Amino acid sequence: MMKTNRIKILLILSVLLLWVQVWNPQRGLAQQTEVTGKAAVSKEAMATTANPLATQAAIDMLKKGGNAVDAAVAAAFAIGVVEPDGSGLGGGGGMVIYLAKEHKSVYINYYQRASANILSLNYVPQSDSRSAKAILVPGTVAGLTTALEKYGTLPLATVLEPAIRYARDGYPIDETLAKIMLDNSDFLQKYPSTGSVYLHDGFPLMQGDTLRQMELSHTLETIAAKGRAGFYEGDVAQTIVNDVTSNGGMLTMDDMKNYQAVVTEPLHGTYRGYDILTANVPQSGVSILEGLNILENADLGKMGHFSTSVETMHLMAEAIRRVYADRSAFLDDPKFESVPVQGLLSKAYARIRYKDIDPSSVQPPDYRKTKAGNPFNFSNNPGSVPGVQQSGDIDSMWDDVDEERAGSNLRENDDVFNRWGGRKKKTVIAKPLADSTSLKAVPPEDTSKKVEQEKPEVLLMDQGTIVQPKTMAKWVDMDAGEGGHTTHLSVMDKDGNAVSLTQTLGTFFGSGFTTEGVVMNCGMANFSITTAANSVKPNKQPRSSISPTIILKNGKPYLTVGSPGATRIVSTVIELIVNVIDFKMPVDEANKAPRFLCQKNDDFLSLESRISPEVQEGLKKKGHQLKLFGEYDLFFGGAQMILYDQDTQTFYGSADPRRGGVAIGD
Amino acid sequence: MKRILYLTLFVSFIFALGAPSFAQNKPKLSQPILITSAGQSADVTLAGMLCKRLSLTAKTIPVAKASDLDSAKTLIIVAGFSSKGLGAAGVSREQELNRVKDLISAAKTKKIPIMFMHIGGKARRGGESDDFNKLAAEASTYMLVVKQGDDDKFFSTIASKGKIPIELIDKIADAAKPLGEIFK
Repeated sequence: MMKTNRIKILLILSVLLLWVQVWNPQRGLAQQTEVTGKAAVSKEAMATTANPLATQAAIDMLKKGGNAVDAAVAAAFAIGVVEPDGSGLGGGGGMVIYLAKEHKSVYINYYQRASANILSLNYVPQSDSRSAKAILVPGTVAGLTTALEKYGTLPLATVLEPAIRYARDGYPIDETLAKIMLDNSDFLQKYPSTGSVYLHDGFPLMQGDTLRQMELSHTLETIAAKGRAGFYEGDVAQTIVNDVTSNGGMLTMDDMKNYQAVVTEPLHGTYRGYDILTANVPQSGVSILEGLNILENADLGKMGHFSTSVETMHLMAEAIRRVYADRSAFLDDPKFESVPVQGLLSKAYARIRYKDIDPSSVQPPDYRKTKAGNPFNFSNNPGSVPGVQQSGDIDSMWDDVDEERAGSNLRENDDVFNRWGGRKKKTVIAKPLADSTSLKAVPPEDTSKKVEQEKPEVLLMDQGTIVQPKTMAKWVDMDAGEGGHTTHLSVMDKDGNAVSLTQTLGTFFGSGFTTEGVVMNCGMANFSITTAANSVKPNKQPRSSISPTIILKNGKPYLTVGSPGATRIVSTVIELIVNVIDFKMPVDEANKAPRFLCQKNDDFLSLESRISPEVQEGLKKKGHQLKLFGEYDLFFGGAQMILYDQDTQTFYGSADPRRGGVAIGD
Repeated sequence: MKRILYLTLFVSFIFALGAPSFAQNKPKLSQPILITSAGQSADVTLAGMLCKRLSLTAKTIPVAKASDLDSAKTLIIVAGFSSKGLGAAGVSREQELNRVKDLISAAKTKKIPIMFMHIGGKARRGGESDDFNKLAAEASTYMLVVKQGDDDKFFSTIASKGKIPIELIDKIADAAKPLGEIFK
């Protein structure tokens, strides 16, 4: 009887359990993505990166008595391990450092650089831009070790310890990395050295899986033991060089040994009484300053935030598009080309650009016809630029070249303008290719093939070739719909030091090629292959959108800000600064606020869908065509910001909710 | 006798507890297969890879239209949203939703069975993915889902409501076995 009762009880319990499982399956919560981005608060120090493990690495260094530079360098090495798609030893970047004791700021440019033998490279942009052929000399190790040696306080081995641990012991893959690996699963299979790390049986690892990178840990250990020489010389360098060249790339031991990070001054400007310190050329701090200078002519605070005010949005869109036009026309490596930095930073020049904006409508109606300005008129020494005319009608200086036929850099559709006065090259006729043969210059007399308007010079290589595609009608924008590659981190310490650092591999997983555990960059894709501006030359750096920035208030650090997001970096950083300075937003609100992009080489004003419907309608009436993105779309970057309230002596840190980062206060 | 009966019932119920993980009424589906995306995530190519490894007769067309169904005997829809994918395909989110709706409608008209796959896990859940997930899953006659993507029973609920057999797998590579069983 007892036994029977027990069996009955078991049976009833089983039925109940079955009911819970099968007939009530909604016991789990419908998970809704939570938008984070709440500010972290601290009285001591703050770090924010796109990955909690990297942020923790920074905090660990601060706890060991290190300064903001120690923390930033540790975080930068670590983020290259825990965000292997976005940056790492195989890439490059730039950092602005403010040193409180010395009251001085520096900019360390450690972006990738072309090999001295780059002209021997056989490179087809359409097929090679994400391959070993796209690799430039990496700068991350040089940049970070230089920063540490000059401005840090902790030993390199200490600073590298978190990165080594994460690579050796592994870490759980987060949602952002999981998505990126899914999106790039085809690409990750291209090279076995990459697939063996990031794929399992040919399929991408998933969120929550543990990712170990043993070879990378060994390389990091070598750097810890030998410093930069551990990467740029010796066995590691030799293996990297051998692997890259055997896969068609161009890299030599001399390239590696000779790579030096450039320590210089950041560009300096002002905006509404604040001092802006930002990335020097050929990175894009100059564009940030130009954009702010233009906007300074309007009282944005009175006009209302751009997410709710048509007038503000239209003004900012028109201003930022002009900034992009100038950037395309003028931004270049100053070691090789004249860059009118002074003119671009001029408030007077910005005023002219501001006056060019029509508040009632898009001008020109076709975004792609937005012209660059004439900043040379605002440089003290325009004569230093060869062939520059000192006066004349600005408009007549430019030929509106058919952009589709002019071609462009795959990732950034560069405008094709003849530089005003200077660098006008002999016209070379482009011949459509029947096959992948070298493109040869055709004498100008051959009018049968002459294109309608002046064409840029076609880059011919000494021994290698750069092959133009059959048509230049459609360059695939590799960044369409994405924006999370590259990474930014910000650190401020209790002594008033601050670091703003952005680094990259070029695009997600860079070239896709891994050697010695290091995912290598695809920096070649940042050059413009068919235009004089930003053209490939030995030892030259391509221009880059990265714009790490530190803002001073009363001469002391107030805000560190920066973002990944390819060309969106410029517009995003400008919007963030405007959010804080003009609209007095707390840093987390500033980071969460809706974003937009308006650039010359687009047909649309790209918006996050949270921009109000009234604003959207108003913009259409002014002639904008809109393209809506998600509510918090990674396309618009992943900003990491720290604000220091000098009155309350409190740090507020914000990691972008669009990307899986975190701010931590010490 | 009663004890044996109760014991049998008890054991049956215990097995039934794992029902959501079992492919109840696993169908037998025919080739050739048309594989398409709902949301334009790259997961559709992974499904194509799986079929290729199994030597199944399958064609992957991420933006398949009704006319692409002409030679297909089964439609596999691989769901997951990617803004990068939409951009590469040159379609808006609304256009993609409409395309998938039209394709589903055409498949039903032609009596072509629809198999649903969700292999992106958590990364392809929530936000904008779930509109595509729901649309395609509800239209299917069999669901193959990586478990991680069903932590909140989103797909199990759809399966239960629609009486659609669902199989949960641990990893993408584990999809090979059920695919082989269904199509061979």
